[in-house]
Amino acid sequence: MTDLTLQGVRKEFDGVVAVKNIDLHIPDGAFVTVVGPSGCGKSTTLRLIAGLEQATDGMIQMGTQDVTGVEPKDRDVAMVFQNYALYPHMTARRNITFGMKAAGDFSDEEIERQVAEAAAVLDIDDLLDRKPGELSGGERQRVALGRALVRDPEVFLMDEPLSNLDAKLRIKMRAELAKLHSEFGTTTIYVTHDQTEALTLGDRVVVMNDGRIQQVDSPQRLYDFPKTRFVAEFIGDPAMNMLPVDIARNGTDYEAVGPTFRITLPEGDGLEAAAGGQAILGIRPESLSVADSADRSSFTAEVTVTEPLGDSLLLECRTGDQEFKLHAEPRTAVKPGDQVALTVDAERLHLFDSQTGNAIYHAAAAQSLEETDTVDSTI
Amino acid sequence: MSTREVFTDRLQAGVLLLPTMVVSLLFLYYPTVRAVGLSFYRASLARGDVFVGLENYRRLASSPEYLRSLLVSVLFAACVVVGVMAVALCVSFLIHEIDVGKGVYLVAVIWPYALPPAVAGLVFLFIAHPNIGIFTSYIETLGVDVNWFSNGPQAFVVVLIAAVWKQVGYNVIFMTAALGNVPESLTETAELDGVSRTQRLLRVYVPIISPTLVFLVIMNTIYGFFGTFAMIDLMTKGGPAGATNILIYDLYRTAFQFYEFGFASAKSVVLFVAVGLLMYGQFRLSDRYAYYGG
Repeated sequence: MTDLTLQGVRKEFDGVVAVKNIDLHIPDGAFVTVVGPSGCGKSTTLRLIAGLEQATDGMIQMGTQDVTGVEPKDRDVAMVFQNYALYPHMTARRNITFGMKAAGDFSDEEIERQVAEAAAVLDIDDLLDRKPGELSGGERQRVALGRALVRDPEVFLMDEPLSNLDAKLRIKMRAELAKLHSEFGTTTIYVTHDQTEALTLGDRVVVMNDGRIQQVDSPQRLYDFPKTRFVAEFIGDPAMNMLPVDIARNGTDYEAVGPTFRITLPEGDGLEAAAGGQAILGIRPESLSVADSADRSSFTAEVTVTEPLGDSLLLECRTGDQEFKLHAEPRTAVKPGDQVALTVDAERLHLFDSQTGNAIYHAAAAQSLEETDTVDSTI
Repeated sequence: MSTREVFTDRLQAGVLLLPTMVVSLLFLYYPTVRAVGLSFYRASLARGDVFVGLENYRRLASSPEYLRSLLVSVLFAACVVVGVMAVALCVSFLIHEIDVGKGVYLVAVIWPYALPPAVAGLVFLFIAHPNIGIFTSYIETLGVDVNWFSNGPQAFVVVLIAAVWKQVGYNVIFMTAALGNVPESLTETAELDGVSRTQRLLRVYVPIISPTLVFLVIMNTIYGFFGTFAMIDLMTKGGPAGATNILIYDLYRTAFQFYEFGFASAKSVVLFVAVGLLMYGQFRLSDRYAYYGG
């Protein structure tokens, strides 16, 4: 186990910059998930850490050792791939032991013992003599995990390991991965495009876009206090509604003024500077609700689409020329074309700079926004 | 699969099949049957055919010359298969591993295969000719007396090298394609695990590309028995003293130099059966050892 530091790491492929000057520190024993859309550089970052790609610039440090130019095999990392990368002609047991035997650092008894342990942990004892072709997707991924486990590496690298599994199995394996981590405590970096996986598995979540780190935070803080418009829209499903507004001062209060609504913003940092200008108001679908009757704080919108989800009713609404989504109570009696009165949870409002997309205000008590994080990152 | 008949009209189907049938019958099946038939006759252009039963086969079995030719053939084919595949595997692996100039190396390796066998034979003749060969004097500085026009084992080796040189390109095409299909993540896993290059080639790549290798063993066996005819004809004419007299060349001489068509037919039947049995054996073995997925 060790901590890991990336300093100004940059990777170019034939002039295309995949990773742009990343700084990241991952503490010993952390489970860090890296999430972002396709092509955001998350897999490349992982491969740079593994040594499968060489950084164009910058430094990668494991513990106190600079590993930037070190061969993959000398970095003491184990990687689990999306397609499992099992040797198809070898039995599960051979797959697990092949690397250990090839490296030659382990005695036969040691290998035997390690395999037995890993097989017991992963519940694959009965599968050891089968070939990958005779195993299901979930079983294959367990074997691949077993192969990584027996090497007892300093760092686990996982590149979308659950993406090839069906939804049910994915949820089951997700829980098992979390259990494995709490058992072994090995520093783990887990790349995924699935925000649910990222949020449920990671102690810390790294959100990447366009080769840059957007934010590093705990899952809840990422959700509550997104630092950029990108993070706000990427985390959460359906995405946060983004409405262009003017920020106006009304006596001692500040208001977000849209074409058809005026929403009072609770006092907080950043409002004074924003007053008199334009901004993007961010409201999560669950922070909007259908009011029984119109009052001063509500505004009306027209329902365009209804999607019953069972535990809630997803409404697509329009007010003026702005469209947005909200989660209403299930069984709310509305249909497309209805006019509804909507209220907002004033504690859950966000403002983003219209130009840069950076967050300028979070209503949810700006109290903890400045709290320092255990995973340091400069954007 | 649909069992619907593509052609409602049998006549139309027959007409479309006709050209293929005619060519196959005329140039493949009829000669095969005729050769088997002829092998029971003493056939000659001048005196007509005389039925002799198994006489030709009896002659073959008791001919030390023929048995030697059989031995030379099997040895030659075995050396060709092993030699070609060993060289091609190394070359393919090197080409697979490098990142720059892949295409150039590939073209360079495939070039000899693009030559007609007769041309390849001639080229090699001039490269290694005992008196005027381009490489001959260099080889002789190593202390080897190059005289393969009269030295049997040397002739065998020279023809073998020529045959291997010519066939490596064909094998490399298939091997590099097969290696290219091995998932990148397997290579990366091996690299992360610290598996050495040789181990990676022999323990990971070779088993995975084994179906291609089986195919190549069979193609190379056929090449070893039949495809080297032109080179032998141009370089050694089966000599010296039968050292390179492989079955196909021996049978050609019997038929078209000594005009013993019956005897030559018997030889061709034996060759056909021998190679057929060999193929069968190779397929059986491959079922057991080649990895076809699953």
